Amino acid sequence: MKSIQTYNIKSYTYRVKSIWVVCCISLLFSCKKTELGPQCISCDETPITNTTSSDVLILNEGNFGWSNASISIYNKESHSLHNNVFKNANNGVSLGDVAQSFLQIDDKGYIVVNNSGKIEVVNTNDFKSVATINGFNSPRFMLKINSQKAYVTDLYSSFIQIVNLQSNTIVGNIPTPGWTEQLVLLNDTAYVCDMKNNNILLINANNDQLIDSIKVGISPNSIVLDKNNQIWVLCSGGFSQENARLFQFNPSNRSVEKILTFSNINDSPNSLCASGNKDELFFINNHVYKVLISDTVIPATPIISTNGNIFYGLGIDPENNDIYVADAVDYVQNGIVFRYSSSGSLITYFTTGLIPSKFWFIH
Amino acid sequence: MRRFGVLILCLISSVLTFAQNKYSDTTITVKTFELIDKKVSKHYKKTVIDSVSIHESQNLSEVIQNHSSVFIKDYGPSGLSSISFRGTGASHTQIQWNGVLLNSPMNGQIDFSLFPTVFYNNVELNHGATSLLDRNGALGGSVNIFSTPNFEKKYSGLVRQSVGSFGTFKTEVSTSYNTNGLLLENQVYTFTAQNDFEYKNSSKLNFPVEQQKNAEMVQYGVQQGIYKKLKSGWIGGRVWWFDSNRNLPSVLTKAYANEKQKDQSIRTVLEYQIFKNKFSLKASTGFVNDNLIYEDKSTKLFSKSKSYLIDNTINTMFNLNKKLNIINQFNLRFESANSSGFSETKKATHSSWLTGVVFEFDRTQFNAINRFLVVNNQVNALSPSFGGKHQILFKEKLFIKANVGINYHYPTLNDLYWNPGGNPMLKPEQSEMSDVGFNYSKSFQNHSVELDVLGFYNFVNNWILWTPTSSGYWLPANLKEVENKGFEAMLSTTSTYKKIKLSFNLNYAYTKSTNTKANSEFDNSLDKQLIYVPFHKLNTTATINFKNTSLFYNYSFTGSRYISTDNNWYMPEYFLHQIGVSQQIRWNKLAFIVNFKITNLLNQDYQAMAYRPMPGRNYLFSVSVKF
Repeated sequence: MKSIQTYNIKSYTYRVKSIWVVCCISLLFSCKKTELGPQCISCDETPITNTTSSDVLILNEGNFGWSNASISIYNKESHSLHNNVFKNANNGVSLGDVAQSFLQIDDKGYIVVNNSGKIEVVNTNDFKSVATINGFNSPRFMLKINSQKAYVTDLYSSFIQIVNLQSNTIVGNIPTPGWTEQLVLLNDTAYVCDMKNNNILLINANNDQLIDSIKVGISPNSIVLDKNNQIWVLCSGGFSQENARLFQFNPSNRSVEKILTFSNINDSPNSLCASGNKDELFFINNHVYKVLISDTVIPATPIISTNGNIFYGLGIDPENNDIYVADAVDYVQNGIVFRYSSSGSLITYFTTGLIPSKFWFIH
Repeated sequence: MRRFGVLILCLISSVLTFAQNKYSDTTITVKTFELIDKKVSKHYKKTVIDSVSIHESQNLSEVIQNHSSVFIKDYGPSGLSSISFRGTGASHTQIQWNGVLLNSPMNGQIDFSLFPTVFYNNVELNHGATSLLDRNGALGGSVNIFSTPNFEKKYSGLVRQSVGSFGTFKTEVSTSYNTNGLLLENQVYTFTAQNDFEYKNSSKLNFPVEQQKNAEMVQYGVQQGIYKKLKSGWIGGRVWWFDSNRNLPSVLTKAYANEKQKDQSIRTVLEYQIFKNKFSLKASTGFVNDNLIYEDKSTKLFSKSKSYLIDNTINTMFNLNKKLNIINQFNLRFESANSSGFSETKKATHSSWLTGVVFEFDRTQFNAINRFLVVNNQVNALSPSFGGKHQILFKEKLFIKANVGINYHYPTLNDLYWNPGGNPMLKPEQSEMSDVGFNYSKSFQNHSVELDVLGFYNFVNNWILWTPTSSGYWLPANLKEVENKGFEAMLSTTSTYKKIKLSFNLNYAYTKSTNTKANSEFDNSLDKQLIYVPFHKLNTTATINFKNTSLFYNYSFTGSRYISTDNNWYMPEYFLHQIGVSQQIRWNKLAFIVNFKITNLLNQDYQAMAYRPMPGRNYLFSVSVKF
């Protein structure tokens, strides 16, 4: 009995030794083939089944060149949240970077991916990719003109690209002086922010011809329509080059109706949004401010204070005027989205993907 | 993780058993004057890389990757390459070429892929506080590359032609001629590569194999040196001219790449070294002009930057008596840069005066120094450091050593003046550096072994970080506070049996680098590991020399690195194997050497940086003639 035990121990130590040897050798020569490229420790992996009109899309820019842009879907009724929606719906394929803007046309979603130079076309119910529109340089924002075509502005090219919505290809372009940014459509005319020359470009949407340009302030970064079909343009003033200004532009006589000037030269407002019934405007200037279209001065007190966070993106729910604010934290970790009521009281907050910046209220 | 621990144990135990019965004098010491840095730095942590290993590598980046525990941020062939010591950033690593600090005045960084190995014979890595003797500002460490004039030979020369995978062609010529103590030396270098390797595209479904695009590169360089031997020292100088043209491959998620970059540098240095009984002096003055032209055809971005720097250093040491030495160092540096990102030419002046004492007793050495800084008219009178070592046992070379110091890294011209964003109000980054450890070496008969283990702790305050703002541009600020701790171990052995020489070298670093400051209550980066700092980095090289044949095997392991500050995303670890063989044939006074090297022997698919593919197994064959 004893000898058997000794034998067993011996064979055991022998086995342990050989395991060590095998282990050492295999470790030295092993190379993991399964993991290649960035890996996530704790990521949402459940694909979204069907989006509803109570879903809010959050576009997470991702880092420039890191290919980590993503989409989050938050349900404002159930408070449920899905992150990595695009990746999970498309077999783990990453979206690219930098996700710049989102546009919904009927049941199709268009994700403009700036540095990757493409627009991903997805079904808005399950976010499966149906097409990729390639050939852009540095696309920024997209505007539907009619069921056939859309315009896409660009950071580095001197064109607005014309996209055919049926074939999902670029079919033409409109020469511009340079960087074009946000744009809106009113009565067959597209109004485009021209960041290079600080103008609003007027484009005839029927024949795609540039018809006029109107001087505004330095860096017209956002543009919205109000309920009276007046066009509001927010100019950040550049890098403290001039005071930031909010322009009210009357398209019927192509003249500037009103200018609201920011008092501090260091103010750098952005992300102009309109409320549901388009009589209130919101923007970020460190804090979140609300201005009525009838106001003549920029309000002194914000509706939402940063409280030490860094507000990077803004969205207003057209249904109930809830205010969504994105905080990118340090830009290298998952960001936070705060949801406030229209009066500015915090309803909830949740963690999204890297650098949340734009919102879209799915309809 | 556990797997890795097992691996380390295996390696160390196998090496230790091996080490017990062999080993002789191991470190390839550089024959040079016993000057300040040499004398004092004995108790600091240095990685000295021998010239054979240097010349076996393509560029400085590869030397460091294969022969130290330092992590390289390698964007792949034709891409950029920067290094990170002990968890610090790329601008916290300094590089000195024959005493001239080369870091860009603009971003404070250096691209280690632009340093061909034929241009220098020595590479030393100064870890942590070691660099305080040379300069302030290297919060992580510094890399010194230099050539020591060789007055011993009448003439010598080397011509090497290499051909490798992915369209690699390299020609290196190095000659020197010495007459009556006047030494002329010259190096010529050309390198071209297509870098059209295949890789698995991890961003696509099922990882399809694709070919790397837009990664062609061409490099040329010439270095000319002239030195005169003096009665007790030498005087001389050299000129380095280097031109690199490369296309920059993009991340593998991008369908096209149209970026290219041209780097051009002219570097000159005048050096004077003198060594007398009780006094030694080393002086150098360097002039550097770097030009960088970047172009992206698809975005029509074009940027051009030009920088100049003049860097003067005087090191002196007085031997007051056997036990006491006094050291002084004066440094004066002018920087100037012009770029499309600046509204006008921007300038900076850095001056410093280091003074200190070095005590030497039988078994103990101790030094105390202070550096007095004046940077752009701001005075900073106090950045002291202390260090020492003590031999514990009378008969054994077992030393304990410890160092502490305070180091300042000043904001670069980009940090201060970049338009937009530059912030003239930035404070210098401050690091409290310390390390403690031991060094043991023993030689007996034909064997030698050296073991060096050092734990370190650094705390960096006011770390400058550029972050995007909602206004669409990036702003630098003194945002971060970082705690770096860990340890570095080095084991080196050599032994000789008749005509066989075996040597083994191991470097390992464990680095825990954590962010200790949250910028808001939702900041999840608090107490998390910094991005792109691997916990583990290891590499080993084993070399066998038999008569005129030598064989080496190099193995390196880079642990996983987090790539998001909340530590939710990481890049997987990778193991790399490299094998090389060389055969020398002597014919009269000539020696012909044939080399063959296989890199990434196991053809591993890996990325050092996210979505930057790296080449699989590749070969390099070279033929040299030496006289």
